[in-house]
Amino acid sequence: MVVVPDFLIKRIYQKGSLKKFDDGASFNLKNVLGPGFISGFNYVKINDVVYDAQNVKFIMNGQEYTSADVSEDHPIAFRLGQVGTLVVKGEQSVTEGVNKIVIEALNPEAGVVKLSVEDNV
Amino acid sequence: MEVTFDKYSLMIDGKRVFIKSGAFHYFRTPGVKMARDRFLKMKAGGYNTVDIYFNWNYHSAQRGEYDFSGIKDVRKVLEEAKKAGLYVIARPGPFINAEVNAGGLPFWLLKMEDVIPRNRIGTEYKYSPKYMECVAEWYDHIIPIIKEFDNVILFQIENEYATDSMEEDYMRELYKMVRERGITCPIFHNDAYFAGLWADCVDIYALDLYPYINPNQNWKQDNFCFDTLDNVEDIFRCAKDNAPPFIAEMQSGWFDKWDGSGYSHIREALGDEHINIMTKTALSQGVTLFNHYMAAGGTNWGDLACDEVYTSYEFTAPIDEFGVLQSNFYKAKEINYFLDSFDLTCTEPKDFDFQQENIYSKMRHDNINDCDWLFIRNMGINKKINEAEGGVTLPNGKTVVLKSCDMKICPVNLKLKACDIEFSDVEIFARLQNEKEEAVFFIADKNANIYMSDGTVIKGDKTDFENYTFERDGKSTQFIFLTKHLADRSWFLGDKMIFNADYVLPNGAVAVEKNTEIAYFDLKYKFAKRNCIVDAFSKTPSIEQLEISDVKFCAPEIDLDYDYSDWKKIPAGGKTDAFSCDIYDEFIWYKAKIPNNLTEITLSARHLFAVYVNGKEIINRNSYKLEKLQEVPETISVPLNKKILYREENELTILVQNLGFDKGFSGDTNNPRGLVIFETTPKVPVEFYVCDRLAPEYSTRFESDNPYLSKITVNFDINMKDNVFFAKYISFEDFRCRRATIYLNGVKIGRYIKRRHVQDKFYLINEFLKPHNTIDIVVWEKDRNVKSAWGFKSDLKNVKILLGTFKICQLFK
Repeated sequence: MVVVPDFLIKRIYQKGSLKKFDDGASFNLKNVLGPGFISGFNYVKINDVVYDAQNVKFIMNGQEYTSADVSEDHPIAFRLGQVGTLVVKGEQSVTEGVNKIVIEALNPEAGVVKLSVEDNV
Repeated sequence: MEVTFDKYSLMIDGKRVFIKSGAFHYFRTPGVKMARDRFLKMKAGGYNTVDIYFNWNYHSAQRGEYDFSGIKDVRKVLEEAKKAGLYVIARPGPFINAEVNAGGLPFWLLKMEDVIPRNRIGTEYKYSPKYMECVAEWYDHIIPIIKEFDNVILFQIENEYATDSMEEDYMRELYKMVRERGITCPIFHNDAYFAGLWADCVDIYALDLYPYINPNQNWKQDNFCFDTLDNVEDIFRCAKDNAPPFIAEMQSGWFDKWDGSGYSHIREALGDEHINIMTKTALSQGVTLFNHYMAAGGTNWGDLACDEVYTSYEFTAPIDEFGVLQSNFYKAKEINYFLDSFDLTCTEPKDFDFQQENIYSKMRHDNINDCDWLFIRNMGINKKINEAEGGVTLPNGKTVVLKSCDMKICPVNLKLKACDIEFSDVEIFARLQNEKEEAVFFIADKNANIYMSDGTVIKGDKTDFENYTFERDGKSTQFIFLTKHLADRSWFLGDKMIFNADYVLPNGAVAVEKNTEIAYFDLKYKFAKRNCIVDAFSKTPSIEQLEISDVKFCAPEIDLDYDYSDWKKIPAGGKTDAFSCDIYDEFIWYKAKIPNNLTEITLSARHLFAVYVNGKEIINRNSYKLEKLQEVPETISVPLNKKILYREENELTILVQNLGFDKGFSGDTNNPRGLVIFETTPKVPVEFYVCDRLAPEYSTRFESDNPYLSKITVNFDINMKDNVFFAKYISFEDFRCRRATIYLNGVKIGRYIKRRHVQDKFYLINEFLKPHNTIDIVVWEKDRNVKSAWGFKSDLKNVKILLGTFKICQLFK
């Protein structure tokens, strides 16, 4: 349980950034909270499809980070105002209309950070 | 005292005051004398305010019972703050976090079934009338005491609070409760998320800023950690435009935890650059109220700590746990003295068209001194902006040379009494002045210059006391240079400066640790000197070995047929955790009878435990594990056999060490402690009897047959004199045990637990010292290589217990 209120965490997700692919999806996260680090992604869930950490990659400043690249010992700096794209691969999950997205990320200081949002394509 | 404010600053009795505060925990630095020592040192370092958390749990063991006597007398603490000339920021929670046991919430409150602590479950808001009744009870006891002191200038409600829905009922009710109880000063809350939270529910919006909270990170390399601070003025203005920017907790150190990197690592990592950058950047953003968290470190003696932290709460604070001044104190002192010399309570941001990689710069116009101040910082890692590279050339054509991670405050067009400075990157340390004269003290810097308005350039490469005098219209200005080394030992008392002292008291008394020539300067008599000959303490060795006077086995509870009939009975099937047993002590004993047909017991205990059957240990384990800030509970099974269960009815003893309840920031204060799960295979009903504390804590007649807990006793004398400040510690050598609890004159002052790192020096808290002292070290868990009880005792007799001195100074009036 991390006591970061939901409405604050939700601000990280960039509304309208959800894209649908044949084998997955992508969307953007923007750090509007404060300078920090990401030490991993536990999973991403879009509607009923769960993408585990191995099928999640984060692209920022042209660099791709997979679960193998990111850990508590090797966190990625996520600066205030910086935007990154989260790409999930596996199966198609995004549908027309409203999509429910859950992201469980890890932060070295706050621990597990869970973000639940809805977005349209 | 009337406290008002506008968008620039606080005003006390109509006069603008820059609030330079530091946090102090009276519960971790117990007793009036220790509070006085820390307050006077803060005042000497230029702080004008002390921030005090009031710890509900520390004062209330039972509902309706409040203890403000002896070392818990907060009235005396507040009196000392007032005598030291400090304002007070009062923070009575109800929740305080502060890495204290249960975040400062009383155990009886957490145990109440119809109470939802802090009106929230996780991040979900849930109003709890019963909880609010209890808060009212706390406020009814603490606020009348706080209200007696007119130097209380700010009052905080709750602490770093947020919920998903952000309903305002709770915060508004707290505000109302405080006002109804007669608090008249401005009320604020500290927003940990710097998102403008609760700005409309309080008088002044405040936030907490800790850019370095992960000691594994290199803040100098990850220099973007100041991103929020670099833009904090916008956050304040968006949140509440009519109130002054207030950083209620501004990082001046950080706490270490079990398996952390150690305080020496954190202190080295932060250096004095961090507090310099934090404070100067805050000033560059128009902040006129700051609170260094912490100003003085403390000790988690007794059961003060939450589970996360060990005994020392040194916090790498400017004044460390032992009351010794550290390098970040001297840096804070420089800034505080500068703020005492030039009133920066009314400044505006001013356009300054300058950008260079790794350089942060901000210009402010000073409405009071009618000048500008340039704040400039170099965050280039290992990259000094040096002279050879031309330094940083500013739009005004001047060049500033900055070391890596350095930050300066440079005056621009500063009009003094008898001269004008066009620009200076030699930093001002302090100023003494009267109507006609002034002495401006600068910190010598060979790479910096003072550019005078008449075109003269004064180089900063000066030695101690080199000076220049200017005369104009019957007035004089003297520039006096101090090297950084002397500046650290220089003390500004408003109308005079004192040089060469380890520290001074506000009344002018000086403290030195060796024979020293003290220099004084004031505008009337200029320089004077005085020799201080140290004669109050002989040359005591910095460390000495204490003779062990006794070693005893001390856990009769484990002995077979021990009489526990007067212990509290928990019926079979009843819950055995600390809340259910109503036992909140660090140590909890459990005794029960078990049959001989059991093949296994399964248990989960928080945090360390040992199981004994028929007086013999069958397991001894440290179950404490924290991952990603969350406690990881452990449940283990222990096989039993006929050899262990050799009686028809066997005696089971379990000893559990509770390291403290969760502090309640990212975890839950109500996470259970003690014996949380106990099951047998095959399942049989087990009726437990429970009791708290170790035998040496409540009796002198406790010797037992079993060797599992042993007590080493040493005695020593201290020559205590009023004019001597000293800080002492004990440490161990050839200590092969992994766990020990240390008592000084019967007071629990430390937990020694060997994990990845171990705290190796334990502060002998001055408040608990006497002329003749006894230290008892209760050792739990003997070394596995020591087979016999006799061998164990003999081994303990060979432990080297060392008495050390951190610092000793004599005070001269």
